[in-house]
Amino acid sequence: MSLLQTGIDALLALGLVWLAWRALACPDLFRGIVLFIAFGLLMALAWVRLEAPDVALAEAAIGAGLTGALLLAALARLNRIAPAGTRADTREAWRNAPALLLVLAGAGLGLAVLSLLPEPAGLQAQVAAELGRSGVSNPVTAVLLNFRGYDTLLEVLVLLLALLAAWSLEAEPPRREAAPGPVLDLLLRLLLPVLVLAAAYLLWAGAHAPGGAFQAGAVLGAAGVLALLAGWRLQPHLTGLPLRLAIVIGPGGFLLVAWALLLTGRPLLEYPPALAGALILLIETLATLSIAATLAVLFQGSRPAAEPPA
Amino acid sequence: MPDLYHALTLFLLLNLGAGLWRVVRGPTAADRMLAAQLFGTTAVAILLVLAQAGGVAALRDVALVFALLAAVAAVAFVRRAWPQPEDEHDRP
Repeated sequence: MSLLQTGIDALLALGLVWLAWRALACPDLFRGIVLFIAFGLLMALAWVRLEAPDVALAEAAIGAGLTGALLLAALARLNRIAPAGTRADTREAWRNAPALLLVLAGAGLGLAVLSLLPEPAGLQAQVAAELGRSGVSNPVTAVLLNFRGYDTLLEVLVLLLALLAAWSLEAEPPRREAAPGPVLDLLLRLLLPVLVLAAAYLLWAGAHAPGGAFQAGAVLGAAGVLALLAGWRLQPHLTGLPLRLAIVIGPGGFLLVAWALLLTGRPLLEYPPALAGALILLIETLATLSIAATLAVLFQGSRPAAEPPA
Repeated sequence: MPDLYHALTLFLLLNLGAGLWRVVRGPTAADRMLAAQLFGTTAVAILLVLAQAGGVAALRDVALVFALLAAVAAVAFVRRAWPQPEDEHDRP
């Protein structure tokens, strides 16, 4: 590795630690959010340097894009409920108990890193040997959707669980968005089709290159968030069953495939090699739709059924 | 040639540091948000340079996602964190 590359990595590492510290320690919440967005960008670059473009893609979509918008919306809501100055300063309490937890977690991680074998065998060889039977040529997708499909099924269910938790909270009166100005309206009309196209591309690319359902779902979800921010709402007849179907079709389709495979006498989520590619594409397409719908609805916060007909 | 790309990456990273100064100093919220947007643009440039340096085409996809999603944070800022002129009349 050349001196220049060492310089890049050192700058990234220093920048990440500094940004993380500033984002947490900063008394102004808005400044903290902007620092967190910058942290997400730098984190994606760090994943690139670590030769993990799949993770970089997810971090770019979730960390830099959606989380920033979610935090900004949460801050706006917080300022409406409890304007700055009326909030109790929780930072003193923050410093003691959770700081201890962080130290413990950090010590545990340190121990885990120290106990790693100097030359870990890893599972790359096994994955490479079985890649031909997985139905896809991108090893990350093969592991996520085939070799360890069980984990991914549970991850998709976690998103559904998060939405159920958000929906069981007391619904807030729906927010009336101001009408979008001509600039925002034009931006949306130009950007939304491109976002949908990019999501479809990422979904398709997942079979042979970095990409896949989570990244595509995040990009499609971002399109939904943009539309919500501009005040576009689903027609009332779509917010009931159709929206709920879109939310559960991903985990539901995954479970149906798992069940159908069990019926044919195979172990859970072990695809027949001839059908593996098609089944993975089906599961990923349904998961993309569900992830996008879930993220957009989570951004809105409360159940859309509470919306009065506009 | 890779050395040139890495030198460019280092230069762009130092640019990010200059943007950070604006994020920390402000003074207005819009200054900080625009600095974050500058971060996004610079990150796209870094990714494109790194894609060329390492021959990793997938990094261009990451750059594409960055470029597309930078708008989400910006729109969220304008619509939620910046006072809307209509808000004053709409408030009950």
